[in-house]
Amino acid sequence: MADDFNLLSNDAFRDRWRMWLQANYPEEWRIPIIYRLAGDDERRWHRMTYEAGWRAPAWPKEYGGLGLSLEKQLIMHQEMEGHNCARVLDSGAVLLAPVLMKYGTQEQRDRYLPPILRGEELWCQGYSEPNSGSDLASLRTSAVLEGDEFVINGQKIWTTLAAYADRIFVLVRTNNDVKKQAGISFVLADMGTPGLTVRPIMNLADEDELCEIFFDDVRIPAENLVGELNQGWTVAKALLGDERIANGAPSLSRQAFDVLEQLVDGIGLTEDIGQTDRMAQLYCDIHDLAALHAQVADAAIRGEIDNAGLGLMKVLATDLFQRVSDELLNTAGEDAGLRTPVGIGGVELDLRKIYMIARPSTIYAGANEVQRNIAANMLMGTTAK
Amino acid sequence: MGWRADDELQQMLRDSAVNYLGAAGGPDHFRNVRASASGFDATAWAQMGELGWTGILLPEAVGGSEMRLGGVLTLAEELGRTIAPEPFVASAVVAATVLAASEADVASTLGRALALGQRSVTLAWQERRGTVGIPAFDTRLDGTSLTGAKRYVPAWHADTALLVAATSGTETIVVAVDPPAAGVVVHPARLTDGSFGANIDFNNVAIGEDAVVLRGEAADVALDLAIARGTVALSAQLEGLAGALWRITLDYMRHRSQFGSNLSDFQALRHRMVDLYSEIELAGASWRSAAKQLETGTTWGSDLHAAKARCSQVAQDMGRWAIQYHGAFGYTDEADVGLYIHAGLRWSTWLGNAASHRREALAAHRRKRALNG
Repeated sequence: MADDFNLLSNDAFRDRWRMWLQANYPEEWRIPIIYRLAGDDERRWHRMTYEAGWRAPAWPKEYGGLGLSLEKQLIMHQEMEGHNCARVLDSGAVLLAPVLMKYGTQEQRDRYLPPILRGEELWCQGYSEPNSGSDLASLRTSAVLEGDEFVINGQKIWTTLAAYADRIFVLVRTNNDVKKQAGISFVLADMGTPGLTVRPIMNLADEDELCEIFFDDVRIPAENLVGELNQGWTVAKALLGDERIANGAPSLSRQAFDVLEQLVDGIGLTEDIGQTDRMAQLYCDIHDLAALHAQVADAAIRGEIDNAGLGLMKVLATDLFQRVSDELLNTAGEDAGLRTPVGIGGVELDLRKIYMIARPSTIYAGANEVQRNIAANMLMGTTAK
Repeated sequence: MGWRADDELQQMLRDSAVNYLGAAGGPDHFRNVRASASGFDATAWAQMGELGWTGILLPEAVGGSEMRLGGVLTLAEELGRTIAPEPFVASAVVAATVLAASEADVASTLGRALALGQRSVTLAWQERRGTVGIPAFDTRLDGTSLTGAKRYVPAWHADTALLVAATSGTETIVVAVDPPAAGVVVHPARLTDGSFGANIDFNNVAIGEDAVVLRGEAADVALDLAIARGTVALSAQLEGLAGALWRITLDYMRHRSQFGSNLSDFQALRHRMVDLYSEIELAGASWRSAAKQLETGTTWGSDLHAAKARCSQVAQDMGRWAIQYHGAFGYTDEADVGLYIHAGLRWSTWLGNAASHRREALAAHRRKRALNG
């Protein structure tokens, strides 16, 4: 295990991480925005970082993480962005682990956390359902306790990378007779359990990352319940460190803007006044979002964080990512109609893919309209309705 | 959001500002200044002198407090929130920065009067529409004779002291000019914040050696810093204004009932208000980022341009929706909304408007990108 990174200065830490990335990050993964590590690539990444002592920056040391300060976690994000790294979901370490640390039993932690660290087991998140999108608490997939087993029936959808996952954490309905949030439980299941089937969905970016999952009398041990029965809504809200502010980061917008600059250079539009004004607007939007993100991160480092603000950052960041990707197509003229990457100035730019990848960002992780509702309730008071 | 934090000194200044401006500032004060012949309230300025605001950047030797930019910006925010028509930015920030860089007697004399709030001082530098940053000056000092034309000189009133930036030989020079002097022709015009601006012609105005405030590189550096500081202070003022207008609009929406609901309950309006709030958050973060850069010695980086662009834009955007959500009442002079919009018009267009600063921000970014290959 490496030495305590928290003892390093921020600059020394940044250099160390940057040098490691430069020496070890696989070249073929350096396709920002477009590429997301999945399956064996994701396992390989977790194993690499585990062996080199970089795995799980936000996890406390007692669980085998780095226990890094928020500041240093954010530095790691920044350097990965700067190195044009691929996106990584890491649902096990990012989404499940905080839940287990806060609500899981010692047995659950011992059993599930180490394989996450070593990159041996990948997890997926079973939350959304066909009729429960933004209104997640209305979910209907049921789990009924029969002896020492839960029997699960129902359907999940939009489960990212489910086809590559070994296990799933699921929100299920365990009580129909109470307020909808009060009848939900958080359970764990093996993806290989009989009755559980996965069907990938092809999306507009030609990816099959999102899946439907069908539960047909899926039996799981009762001990796979995390937290108390019917406490799933609360349990699901546990998050660690940087993940609370990651959705508001300007990374994707900035990377898309880099592509836009390459495109503008390649076509020879740098002197075009209309183009320049549109880019100036986007540049300032990215600049100011980065400034706000830095301020919010500083406040979080001081221990001050506010949830309405974080939701708004997500709205700003994803809306901006879309607008930058819109401008990519605007700029490309007829080439925006190509299904294939656009070859300009000696580089291949897959504009359509970037444009499509930007589409769902305003929907997932709390649709932007829902985020606006939440923020409005906090800023303006709740309505009578 | 919870990220805005004052240090101890800023908190002290903010308390003092909220106290004073809460009683003596705000819409009534704005209306009084707007109705006055001079567009300048000498009593209010003197009170700001007593509070230490007018000398906040001046050296202690002339009675100033030599404070860092952070405190200045806290005051600017609060002055913006209360749409103060006083020449804080023009005089206590821009002109004071020039005076503070000078060792000349004339600078000490003017500095002392400014620190006490006995006088306001204005700097005539701009010569053309839409100038962003310090240009080369066509106004010339040949020997002892000053000739040229300045445009958009801020904070004009009969008793103001006047500094003029010009070219002398191949170098920049800043001189103090007595406004009643022979050859000075002033064309004042009322501005939308109630104060006056002026276009000023100088026709062979006699300038003595004792009127020289700065020359050469010292003049270039001071002018650059003065306008950069003024730009970030004006940005803070605009953000303060937009934040206050957001709050005023929400208060109105909470009390105005239509179709059986308060306006603040309609989702379409709530979402718009949330988006405006977000834009104000961006503005607050943007000028703070510019101030940080300025404190580390970068004057005209993309941060400063982005800040003035954002803060100018948000004041106008907030103004547009403040009128809309006040309904027809928002279109009356009786409603205070219009005062904020008028103040915002002046401040958002002075020292470069949103569009020109956005372009400059991108240009600064491109220069840096070219440099880094």
